[in-house]
Amino acid sequence: MKNKPTTSRRDFIVKSLTAISAVYFIPDIITKAESAKPLAQEVTSDTKWAMSIDVDKCAKGCTACVDACVEENGLYGFDRPETDSQWIRKLTIKNIKDDKIKVVPMLCQHCENPPCCDVCPTGASFRRVDGIVMVNQHTCIGCRYCMMACPFKARSFVHENLTEQVTNAPRGKGCVESCNFCANRIDHGISTTACEEACMKEGHNAISFGDLSDTKSRVNSALKKKDNRRLRSDLSLKQRVTYSGI
Amino acid sequence: MHQLAIRLLLSILILVTPNVFSHDGINHSLIGKSKADSQEQCVEPTEIMQKEHFVFLYHQRDKTVIKGVRTKNHSFANCIDCHVSYDEKGKAIPINSEGQFCQTCHVQTAVNIDCFSCHASVPRGRKSVAKITLENEHNFHITKLTNEIINHVGDYSGEK
Repeated sequence: MKNKPTTSRRDFIVKSLTAISAVYFIPDIITKAESAKPLAQEVTSDTKWAMSIDVDKCAKGCTACVDACVEENGLYGFDRPETDSQWIRKLTIKNIKDDKIKVVPMLCQHCENPPCCDVCPTGASFRRVDGIVMVNQHTCIGCRYCMMACPFKARSFVHENLTEQVTNAPRGKGCVESCNFCANRIDHGISTTACEEACMKEGHNAISFGDLSDTKSRVNSALKKKDNRRLRSDLSLKQRVTYSGI
Repeated sequence: MHQLAIRLLLSILILVTPNVFSHDGINHSLIGKSKADSQEQCVEPTEIMQKEHFVFLYHQRDKTVIKGVRTKNHSFANCIDCHVSYDEKGKAIPINSEGQFCQTCHVQTAVNIDCFSCHASVPRGRKSVAKITLENEHNFHITKLTNEIINHVGDYSGEK
């Protein structure tokens, strides 16, 4: 029996054209598809990540940001609210003067003078040059000094063995962890955090995230619109997360 | 004739024995199929990878955590993405479970790894690359197109 040709002429021409066009055009397309920061580039201090939270827009009973954070980082707990990890949580606050009640999303404030890094004995708590305060879990020994030093109770400790971690957020027993402004997303060129995205989807737009050095960023326009303040400004920690409406 | 047979057997035994004890060059038969099966070579030549993979990983982990470098070549997530095996139902088998890529060598060399007490042992969760965001919907469209073209090329090279 004679060998049958496996591809027809038409197939061959179409496929070779695709291959050739791919070779010529893919490099262009890929550079366009990747956004601001190429994967190989180190972060620089030219970028200043920051967040502004409009408390007036934050809705009571809505937990979209918290849920999004849990999903993004695989923070599934053990139904033990005392010890389960929370990278972002909702607080209810009451003004003593006029008894007004407000809800506030509370997360790592990404201080420019972070007390957690001051007290860390191993240097595991560190501030990335673009302003993200995070834990290097490879060197964290789980002493929890940083948790005591943080005025905002933003950090959590993992008490139990975990099994369902997600690829983007490695986490394990014996380490402290906290919000890292979705560093994985940012490094891949996506300039929105999970909580901001969720808040936008819900239509509240209470959270605005972005780069302070970019004049057109969402955080900058939010800062222009309303007076923002830092919590516990008496500590002069220069947080990158600011609040308006409280 | 009898003696010749014995000699032949002996020589075969002598020739084969060292290979039984040395770990180099043994092809492990892993359960399931992985992406790496179809690749000719890992990100570095195989001998270098066998001896130095942890050096690459140590180096890359500091670059990633501290400096935000997310290149794929020596990235741990990418190792798992490529080397993890899938069973017949298409479900990923944890890479550190018995008979899988990491475990087969590490049991033999008696080196305990604790990567997977924190890192996911199967690709899990959202992938950062192909995500639609409010700002770069245009980019997402391009990414989708690129993926399509890459798939085409993949089909083509598979037929060769």
